[in-house]
Amino acid sequence: MELQRLGIKLFAADSAAVRVRDFVPVFHSWIQRQCMDGHLLIDVHDYSHIQNGPGILLVAHEGNFCTDMADGRLGLVYFRKQPAGTSTQSHIEAALKAVRQAASLLEKEPVFEGLRFRKDELLVIANDRLLAPNDAATFAALKSQLKKMFGTDATLVYASTNPKDRLTVRVAGNPLS
Amino acid sequence: MPTWEEKLADSLDTQLADEIDKFATEITLRKQGKLDEKVFAETRLRRGCYGQRYDNGHRHDGIRSQELHYPADLTKGPETLWDAPGMQRIKIPFGGMNPDQMDVLADLAEEYADGVLHVTTRQDIQYHFIHIDDTPAIMRRLGAVGITTREACGNSIRNVTACPLAGVCKTESFDVVPYAKATAKFMLGHPDAQNFGRKFKIAFSGCREEACGLVNMHDMGAIAAMRVENGKVRRGFELYVGGGLGAVPHDAKLFDAFLPEEELLPFTQAISRVFARLGEKKQRDRARIKFLVAKLGIEEFKKLVIEERKTLTPDPRWSDYLSDAETYSEKPLRPPTFLNGQKRPEGFDAWYSTNVYRQKQDGYVVASVTLPLGDLSSWQMRELANVARRFSGDSIRTTVEQNIVLRWVSETDLPDLYRELARIGLGAPGAGTIVDVTACPGTDTCKLGISSSRGLAGELRTRLAAKSFNLDDAVKNLRIKISGCFNSCGQHHIADLGFFGTTLTVGNRKVPHFQVVLGGKWQENGGAYGLALVRVPSKRIPDVIDRITDRYVRERAVSENFQDFVKRIGKKELRGMLEDLTKVPPYEVDPSYYSDWGDPREYTIGDMGTGECAGEVISAAQFDLASADRLVFEAQLHLDSGDYTNADRLAYRALMQAALSLVRAQWPEAPDEPDTITREFRTRFFDTNIWGDRYAGSKFAQYLFARHAAPPKEHTHDQAHRLVEEAQLFVEAVNRGHDILAERGQK
Repeated sequence: MELQRLGIKLFAADSAAVRVRDFVPVFHSWIQRQCMDGHLLIDVHDYSHIQNGPGILLVAHEGNFCTDMADGRLGLVYFRKQPAGTSTQSHIEAALKAVRQAASLLEKEPVFEGLRFRKDELLVIANDRLLAPNDAATFAALKSQLKKMFGTDATLVYASTNPKDRLTVRVAGNPLS
Repeated sequence: MPTWEEKLADSLDTQLADEIDKFATEITLRKQGKLDEKVFAETRLRRGCYGQRYDNGHRHDGIRSQELHYPADLTKGPETLWDAPGMQRIKIPFGGMNPDQMDVLADLAEEYADGVLHVTTRQDIQYHFIHIDDTPAIMRRLGAVGITTREACGNSIRNVTACPLAGVCKTESFDVVPYAKATAKFMLGHPDAQNFGRKFKIAFSGCREEACGLVNMHDMGAIAAMRVENGKVRRGFELYVGGGLGAVPHDAKLFDAFLPEEELLPFTQAISRVFARLGEKKQRDRARIKFLVAKLGIEEFKKLVIEERKTLTPDPRWSDYLSDAETYSEKPLRPPTFLNGQKRPEGFDAWYSTNVYRQKQDGYVVASVTLPLGDLSSWQMRELANVARRFSGDSIRTTVEQNIVLRWVSETDLPDLYRELARIGLGAPGAGTIVDVTACPGTDTCKLGISSSRGLAGELRTRLAAKSFNLDDAVKNLRIKISGCFNSCGQHHIADLGFFGTTLTVGNRKVPHFQVVLGGKWQENGGAYGLALVRVPSKRIPDVIDRITDRYVRERAVSENFQDFVKRIGKKELRGMLEDLTKVPPYEVDPSYYSDWGDPREYTIGDMGTGECAGEVISAAQFDLASADRLVFEAQLHLDSGDYTNADRLAYRALMQAALSLVRAQWPEAPDEPDTITREFRTRFFDTNIWGDRYAGSKFAQYLFARHAAPPKEHTHDQAHRLVEEAQLFVEAVNRGHDILAERGQK
């Protein structure tokens, strides 16, 4: 399995620390500066009127960044769209690098003073129902890749067993240290 | 690696699979340089794959125009880059969906788009930010659940729409769904519908009085009708042709007061053949069937269609479906019940008062799910599918008001249904009220957008929802519809309060504006079209609504509807009360006017830089343009008073005045003489291609040339109404033309 389309969500330490609409001018300024490595930043969309949607979306050719309020927890999600290398491992690495860079930039934005992203928890979302159906076999396959990436100490939890949901793995422990 | 093609090989209808295979091959050929970009553009459009804003590789970021360097050195059409995100439109005939289809629609939005589904004003569903390489997989997965994107765009028969209450409506003659379904199926890919000069839209309605089908604004519209012949009740249709919105709206013309049901498909075919044969092909802006019907006159058009009908080879599909049509019905999931004394959750009563319609079948209701801006997330769509499985079964419809309705809900289930909708963020009240604002994509994603229709709609929705409990009932029931440009995708012509995007240069900067359109009628299938009253900066539109609705509440006569109120007060008076809102403060005083709703970038159009025009010349031109604006408005007043001769005269004067403003920018002594103005306009701006709307091309210049060359033989309401619309659009286009000239340093 070479899983190319995947997403990673980093969680904000304090969901109340920011106003979601403040991401709109910030993302526009990123486009002005084209400041995301390896990404052609294209456009910004405000979907904050939709529940469990992409919130504020920053569209790039290689992947999309968006705020996410699923389960009431603010986070930053990155979904990779274009290939980054030739293995699932390289795609995960690229996605992680992108979302971490974006999180770091956000933490430095004056308007988001106090915003911090957690280092002890993240989600990995397989955004491909053909290559990665939400079942135990796929989870097992992905688990070994994630262990390589985040270390054997990381706790990997199968987040939803509903086959209609995308396969999502909660990675806890100290995955970003 | 496995592919969807392999996985779904046995799940797809052979014809549909072939069609998708063909498209996949065309993608390969285009990548190999073996297929011309124009041919590929038309072929993708016919599969619903549209371009999207910034796909030419340019985007103004608020400071400068950036070049977007996409990896592939390839185009998917003229000035349309391969890797640029695009839009995928999905046809949902008569808006009908079932929960399994909703699941797939949700999955695809998540995996290939941005996780959002958008319901359009023609019951379609759209995804944005799609890569063209992903479209065959999307089409296969949709095809596996019986959905096609074929002919969702391009010069073809678009989604066949129908009243979302069909089959359960108290005022309908009969359920039009079997007929809408049969028409959509019969005409899909039909050889007689492959050679149109432009798109062709069909709508069905169950009755004449309500709005739901919007027959009046369609290329072909059918209203259910019954007739007793020889003691037997027969089904048929009141058939209309030649309606349409677009830049200049046309009322549909009655083709037949009673077309028997068995003649519906053959006549649809015959109309298509006449349109394909005689419709305009070269001039895109005159190619809709409304222009053909207007040119020939409805009687001549009808004669040609009847002759064509006689030449058709009988086709069993014309009548195969009819035996089931009369007995067609949907099976409710649960037995009928009535609301009794059960406990109602908080918020339920407000939702119930606006979002629930009692069906003609006792004990059942239709529940409207209001979608802000027509959007819902993949998660919401999947959850909504589950809600439908529990409460309404397969009977789900999208609506032209960009909502979704669940039908055949047993009444006692309503409190539980409401709880579920509220849980997934879809329990907002206000369906079909002033809060339920309709808007096209506008500058968010549309290449033609001038102002932010969605940004404005979102702002209005928030403000109106906040005060909805205090709104007078008369105001609550008004409709607001917003288009990002003159092309009317937001259906602003038929709203009580309509708006379409335009722009104005103030100093050396552009300011987003909206034209305020009043007098439209939503009821009676979109029974009347409003006219533009005045151009107001985008940021002052909420004030426009407050002023007009406040006055309506204060001064309306008992039972006076909004259209009658507008007529009684008069447009002159209404324009006067908005006059101060048209003023734009200098940028240095209030820069907020110079950006659009929801977009912090300084506003621009077309990724052009700021002009360096000479202030004096611009001022003179603006003076001339202001005269043209005034003339259009005066023409409107004559039109409203029934004086069509003077309406035509003044609209013609407005065309000349606007053209003169541009001619004088280059030749200050140009005489105010129609032949000279027209000639000079043609040679200086039209023949040289210097002036022209980027997307509409020469369309607006043709309004001037056509009226100058052929004054009307008789002055009718339709003719005068059209010319007033054309003059308004011409003035707007000349306004943009001045900017273009200034930016090119040609004046």
